[in-house]
Amino acid sequence: MDKSPPPFFRQGPSANARLLFFGLMSIGLVVADARFNALGGLRQGIGNALYPVQRVLLMPRDALAAVGSRYAEVTSLRQENAELKRIEALNAKALLQVEQLASENKRLRDLAGARERASVRSVLGEVLYETRDPFTRKLVLDKGAKQQVLIGQPVIDAKGLIGQVTRVFQFTSEMTLVTDRNMTVPVVLQRTGMRSVAFGGAAPGRMELRYLASNADLKEGDLLTTSGLDALYPPGLPVGRIERIERGGDNDFVKVLILPAAEIQNNHLLVVLQVDTSAIPPAPPADTIDPARKRNRRNL
Amino acid sequence: MTSRNEYLLLPVSRAYIAFTILVAVILNIMPWGRDFGIPDFLALVLVFWNVHQPRKVGIGIGFLLGLLMDVHTSSALGERALLYSLLSYGAWFLHRRVPWFRIVGQMLHVLPLFVIAQCIVVVVRVATGAPMPGWWLFLQWVSTMLMWPIADLLLLAPQRRAARRDESRSL
Repeated sequence: MDKSPPPFFRQGPSANARLLFFGLMSIGLVVADARFNALGGLRQGIGNALYPVQRVLLMPRDALAAVGSRYAEVTSLRQENAELKRIEALNAKALLQVEQLASENKRLRDLAGARERASVRSVLGEVLYETRDPFTRKLVLDKGAKQQVLIGQPVIDAKGLIGQVTRVFQFTSEMTLVTDRNMTVPVVLQRTGMRSVAFGGAAPGRMELRYLASNADLKEGDLLTTSGLDALYPPGLPVGRIERIERGGDNDFVKVLILPAAEIQNNHLLVVLQVDTSAIPPAPPADTIDPARKRNRRNL
Repeated sequence: MTSRNEYLLLPVSRAYIAFTILVAVILNIMPWGRDFGIPDFLALVLVFWNVHQPRKVGIGIGFLLGLLMDVHTSSALGERALLYSLLSYGAWFLHRRVPWFRIVGQMLHVLPLFVIAQCIVVVVRVATGAPMPGWWLFLQWVSTMLMWPIADLLLLAPQRRAARRDESRSL
């Protein structure tokens, strides 16, 4: 008998009752997790149990990639080699200058009595996969609590800031991209030294600057770097370049779209900067934050 | 009494149902990336078994598998649990009706089911602070629907074997 029996037989709670029960439980979980972040333990448990399965399933993909790269055409390797040599030549000059500048900087700092900036520890992480959740954009990295990765630590790629660690499991961690709606980064405009905050979620794959006066000194192509004012992102990391400035419209503010410097789309190796997050005060309880700013409280 | 195009089938084994669900979970966990046309294999298998074996696969199983997938996709815990619970319920609601249709008719029944369940989940998530996702979200349900004939072929295959092997028949 495949079909369910007529209702006059005993068959446990009705489907309606079950839907009500599981539906309410799901909605309760969503609210508890999305609004109050109350389910860390449960998620940790399931995540750690799921980890070996995920790794085994990633093996065929990684093996295929390894075989593919082994037999990669010689021409493409030659091209890559030439490109790398070109970049190295370009970098050589900068590197030589960096050493000289660093020593000069040190002497000046000694003179000024400024505290030496602590060099930041970092760990190299590999992107395991990109999550399929339609509501957020996250990458899962192969380094977790075992490697002292902590929530809030910034993540960079070769070209600039790419995101922030937002959840840590034992062996993996989840990273939210700077273009996510919940992300904010304190930035400074390199050309003028103007400070501002870059918000994610303006447009797909873009960030934006908000509430700048329409006569602010901005040009397309201006480089924005982290300002370091939040004690979280080390100063000087490239964040992006101004892509489009929309003046006018119905209010006195300009809309500034930023193209992130990091390669948001295809990244394999990323670096987690293990900034000491212990000095940062804990986020204030949710009810003391005024509703207008609530959305952007993820970062600090 | 059986429907027009349903054979008299062998009884299904619980082990086979468990095996197919496991395969679906593995297919879902595979690193597909963010291409939204990728079908949700687990939703497909759950709806399929809820239509064909509503006494063996129910809303509770959908809920638990949803929790598992929530952790994998790092969505809000309960998001997919709600989705799969709704799908399981919808499939139960339709389980007397769907098998009477040919395969295309069945597909036209499951597509609205997927879309309605997804809409409810979007409403719940947006109400709890998530941004509106794009329309491409529904693309995966079209591709999941297109997998329905394959699921019908594969999932019912063990039940379509002859009860006793007969040399004069090919099956």
